[in-house]
Formats: sequence, structure tokens, C-alpha cells
Amino acid sequence: MLKLLREVLKVGEATHPYPFAPLPVAPGFRGRPQHAPEACIACAACAAACPSNALALTNDLVRGTRTWSLLYARCIFCGRCEEVCPTGAITLTQEFELAVMNKADLVAQADYRLAACRVCGRYFAPAKEIGYTLALLQQNGLPGDQLEARRALLETCPECRRGRNAAHIAGLVEARQPEVA
Amino acid sequence: MLRTTDKPRIGQSHVAALRQQFNGAVLDESWQAPDQVTVTVALNDLPGAVEMLYYQRGGWLSTVIGNDERPLNGHFALYYVLSLEGDEKSYVVVRALVPPGQPEFPAVTPRVPAAVWYEREVRDMFGLQPVGLADQRRLVLPDDWPDGLHPLRKDAMDYRYRPEPTTDEETYPFLPAPDAGLLEVPLGPLHVTSDEPGHFRLYLDGEDIVDADYRLFYVHRGMEKLAETRLTYDQVNFLTDRICGICGYAHNVAYSTCVETALGLEVPERARWLRTLFLETERLHSHLLNLGLACHFVGFDSGFMHFFRVREKAMRMAETLTGARKTYGMNLIGGVRRDVLKSERTEVLRLAGELRVEVKRLIDMLLETPNLVQRTQGVGRLEPQVARDYSPVGPTVRASGHARDVRALHPYCAYDRVPWTVRAQTGCDVLARVLVRVEEFYESLAIVEHCLDHLPEGPILVEGFRYQPYKFALGYVEAPRGEDIHWSMLGDNQKLYRWRCRASSYNNWPSLRYMLRGNTLSDAPLIVASIDPCYSCTERVTVVDVRKRQVKQVPYREFERYGRERTDSPLK
Repeated sequence: MLKLLREVLKVGEATHPYPFAPLPVAPGFRGRPQHAPEACIACAACAAACPSNALALTNDLVRGTRTWSLLYARCIFCGRCEEVCPTGAITLTQEFELAVMNKADLVAQADYRLAACRVCGRYFAPAKEIGYTLALLQQNGLPGDQLEARRALLETCPECRRGRNAAHIAGLVEARQPEVA
Repeated sequence: MLRTTDKPRIGQSHVAALRQQFNGAVLDESWQAPDQVTVTVALNDLPGAVEMLYYQRGGWLSTVIGNDERPLNGHFALYYVLSLEGDEKSYVVVRALVPPGQPEFPAVTPRVPAAVWYEREVRDMFGLQPVGLADQRRLVLPDDWPDGLHPLRKDAMDYRYRPEPTTDEETYPFLPAPDAGLLEVPLGPLHVTSDEPGHFRLYLDGEDIVDADYRLFYVHRGMEKLAETRLTYDQVNFLTDRICGICGYAHNVAYSTCVETALGLEVPERARWLRTLFLETERLHSHLLNLGLACHFVGFDSGFMHFFRVREKAMRMAETLTGARKTYGMNLIGGVRRDVLKSERTEVLRLAGELRVEVKRLIDMLLETPNLVQRTQGVGRLEPQVARDYSPVGPTVRASGHARDVRALHPYCAYDRVPWTVRAQTGCDVLARVLVRVEEFYESLAIVEHCLDHLPEGPILVEGFRYQPYKFALGYVEAPRGEDIHWSMLGDNQKLYRWRCRASSYNNWPSLRYMLRGNTLSDAPLIVASIDPCYSCTERVTVVDVRKRQVKQVPYREFERYGRERTDSPLK
């Protein structure tokens, strides 16, 4: 009993004054993910890695936009999005106070423009992602004429590309066909 | 880095013994790792083969896996996983195929009681009927779940399907009272502090517990189905963290290792040491929590507060090392995601030093409290023979004289390179289980310090390997409460074909009935807490007097108070 009293006196007050004083967290603490919309290219690598479906990208093919959205209520703060992001657009902060009065406030969103296909005119991929790919190719020393050829390819939707390839192959086959007498 | 296959195989004598005794019944043998073998036997010889390994060759039942392999080979498959702990220590998996046209198999439970829960679960999840199993009740599925809908069959249902409950009443048929004239005391259905439901029924003669029965799985989350259908291999890691609020990281390591072993992937040395470090950090806070609860249940509440105060240092260690108070999100298949910085190392070593001194003072105080010995000695005895029959794990079995610790028996991560000793007691009672945890706390602290001082250099993650369909293997970890064991079969679509995870408490529950027998009602919360299950007591108690046909409700607080003060029985 005396030992316990001595322990109590020695320890003093164990309770932290939080929320009246800020609660310090460890330097490597993983808290609320912060999105940098200007760095993001809407490629959806984060959404593919997210284990809890907190991150989602949805296309609006009428308006021609892709919406990046993060639902903090679902986020488990694992930091996989930060790890897989090719442009470093997501960083985990040290914030942990996420309570809100209104559920809608738990969503972070950003809209990106979709590029329209050169051939069919339908929206198919984020314009920034195409731009990023071209910039990478340029930086890696792809000559200007080839770059333009690539641009034509990248700005065509997969369906049209497939169609064009099929037509191209069909043409080749026809050309090799011997004339029938 | 692929594991070299020329390592000597451990466990060949067990396979040879099986072949000798069951001449012609051993159909196939395949090795997943040097100390893991899967032996396919004829269905009718399944109980005999499991019994032989269990009782003649020092086997303990680790888990049973049901698998719908109809798309692969036209059959259902059963895998009985035995941890052989005699002279040759290895895992031997006995596999048998069940034809879909006649979905039944000879039950193992009459010969090896440890299989009882597993066989009830396989019946629920796959619709395979264990012939000869006396207990016909459901285990995992709700009692009003549609008949004939077996969730883990590949063609059964979408993972999001949740049939509406048909009734608000509890319809589970509890065991009948062993003797008319006994009091039936239901404990449950909800726990007040951990918010976890479980429904106990105690059969009392006066104040003495004659028998006990329980209904759990009210919060079955369908994680195995979810992982098979929606998540990729790496995403499942983050799901395994959430299996348990205490030993999440242990599950994570068990899962990662089973996939890594299935692929023959060698995890880098530094990653193995880091995993060991995080696992022991987790054990620290878990054991401190249980020691705190031990104080609480014997009425030493100041001690409870102080244990929780110093436990905060263990939580801080986890936060510093992993970035979250729980050791969450550290693993990927192939290693760990995050290294330990020098500043973090210094900080954790400082905390560990403080923890050792402060916990020592508290433990001395706890052990000197006369109440502790008086309330826990000889209470809730788990007899060594009952333990042998039911394969309990962790401090529960180690307090009954069986020094079973996966870390020593089947070393994983870096446990064969770190100095430490298995702690066991022979008291068989609640006190012995407390003492095991006390000793293990110091061991864990020493392992944490050793790991931080001797971390080898090198990479922490292997990448760029390819998944191979339908490979399977076991992964195992000694979690704070005992062995967590996972089994995975990889699929052909970047998802698991089958994932079976078994938490440590699963193996401890079936023997709890025997620990409760012969004790008084006021000791029940203490005994349940001593196996450190995911919850320990109950929301309220309903007392049923069978003779008078009267029902009496006792509020939780009153029941807890009675458990601690033992005066003014609520039954009077």
C-alpha cells in the first residue's frame, strides 16, 4: 500500500491536457493524406492500391471530366497511395483530428479534364496523364518527329487504335494476296 | 531471391510412419517448405491419420482448412494442419478430397477433440457433413441463415450478400442443463467495455459452475470471402491488420509469410529482424493490457490504472517505430515497407529502459497484493490432459506445463537468431497464466533491445517476383495470446484463391468450458479474462432458476462487482 502511494506521488499527473493543449505525435506518424491537385495527373494508381476503397476516380463522359475523391471516413492511413503515386501528389500529414459536424466534409475532391479522342471525339483519358507521358518521353530524349507520332497515338482512344490497327493489318494481308485470274 | 530447395527436409519420418501404418492410403505428398509437407490420404483414413499424428507423434491441431477445389480437381478438399512437436518438429498437413456428389466425411472429433470447432465451421461454410460429430449446431453462421447456403463455396453468393435476420430472438439451442435442478446463467449477449458480443450460459449448482456453453461469432466479418473476391495480395495485408485490435501485426506477418513461403520467396534478413522487433513491441502492449485487467478483476483497480499508464510507453514505442499506435500497415508480400531511423532507435531504446524499471515496480506490487494469489491460485484450472486434447495455444497452454511456443518450435522471422527462452509454468490456474505473461514481458523487452542493437544491414523488401497460381503454404506467428496461423492458396487473377486465417483465441475457447467447471460464479469473469480472449465478461447476466422457472436479470456492473467483492450474491 505504501509502495503504491509512493508510486502515485512520484508519477504525479498522468493525464495529458489534450484537447486544451496540442497532442504531440511521433515524427513518423501517419495521419490525414494531403492531396496536391496541381501535381496529380489523375492516373488512378492510388485508387488501384487503396485497400479500403477510400480513394476513387469516376469519369463523367458527358462533361468530359474525371473526379478524384478521397473519403476520409474510409481511409485507414496506410500510406499506400503516397507510396505508389508517380508524381508525389499525395503526402500523409501528422493531422489526426478528422471529426466533422457534416458527413459531406469528410470528402476531398478534385476534377480533371479528360482528353477527347482524335478520331472518334469521345472522352477517354485524363489530359494531364497524356501530357505527363509525353513529357517523360521528351525528357528521355525522344526526337521531335517521333514525339509527334507518339502524340497522335496517345491522343487516340484504345478502341480507335485497335480499329486502326485491324484496318492496317487487313490492308497488309490484302496486299499480299495473289491476284486471282 | 528464391529459396534454395536443397535444404534438408524435416518431417520425413512422419510421412514414412503414415505410409507404413496406412498402407496404400497415402495418395500423394507435396512439400511447401523444408518443414511443411502436405500428405493426401484416402477420405476414410482421414481420422486415423490425424489421430496417429496427434497422439503418437506429438502432434497438436493448428487449424483445419476447407477449400472448394471443384474448379481445380472436381472435389472439395480438407486440410488438417498438425504441428508436430516431438523429436522432429515440423508441420504435417493431412489432406483429403471430398466428392461433391456426396458432401460428407468421417469426423475426426471423436478421436481428436481439438477438431470440434473446425468441423462445425467446415459444415457451415462448405456444407460438408462431418459424419459422427455429435454436435449438430452451427458455429459460425447465424441460426436463421438460409439452409443450404454455404458462403465459402465458390458458386454460393456475392461477398456483399447479407440476408435479413428472420427473428430478433436468440434461437441458438444451448446444451441442455446437465441435471434438472441446476441454475442456468446466461452471460451476454454483449460486453460492456470491449463492445464485443458473445453469449455464455453457465450451469450452476448453488454458486458452483457445473458446466458451461457459449455461442460466439455474432460479429463474423466474412473477411476470408472479402479477401478472395475483392482484394489483391498486397491489399490483404492491410485487412489482416484489422483481424484483431491487439495482435493485428502478428496476423499480418502470418499472412505475408504464408504467401512468401508458397512462392518460395526469401525475405531479406533486415526485414526479418524488423518484423521480429515489431512483433515483440506488440506483445509488450498486449501483455501489459492483460496484466492490467488481472489487477482489475481481483479488485486492485489502482494497479489497473498504473498498468495502463505505463502501457502508454509501449504504445509510444509502436507509434515511433511504425507511425501508428497500433503496429499497422508495415508489411507487404516480400518484406516490410518502412525502416527504422537512428533517432527512432534511440527513442525506443530510451522508452524500453523506462518501461523495464516502471513495470518491475508495478509487477512487484501486484504480486505482493494478497488478493491476487488468494483469488487466482487453483482457480480456473486447465488440466494438462485437457490441454493435450484441445490444442490450446499461447500463455493458456504454457501455464499448464506444455512449453508450446511457435517462436521456438518452428522459428520464423529472426527468432532463431535472437537470444530468448520459452516461459512456461505448471500451476495450470489463472495465477500461472498471469505469471507466464509477467515473464514473457521481460523476454519481449530484451528481444526488442537486442533487435535494435543488432539490426543487420541490407534491403527490407523484395520486389519484381511473379505470383504462381494455386501454390499454397502455411504462415504462423506466436501472437501475444498464442499461435496465429494462416493458410493461403494463390489464384490466377492477382487474388487469393483461398485464404484461411485462424486467430489464437479460436483454439483457446473450446477448452474454456473445462476451466470454468468446478469454480464459483464469482470467478467466471476472472477465468474468461485469463485466456485473454477478445472480450472477457458480459453486459448483463440472466439468471434462470430451472426449478422455479424464474428468470432474473443481473446488470453487468452488479455482476462485475460481485466477481470482485464476493459479498451479497445477486442470486439470492
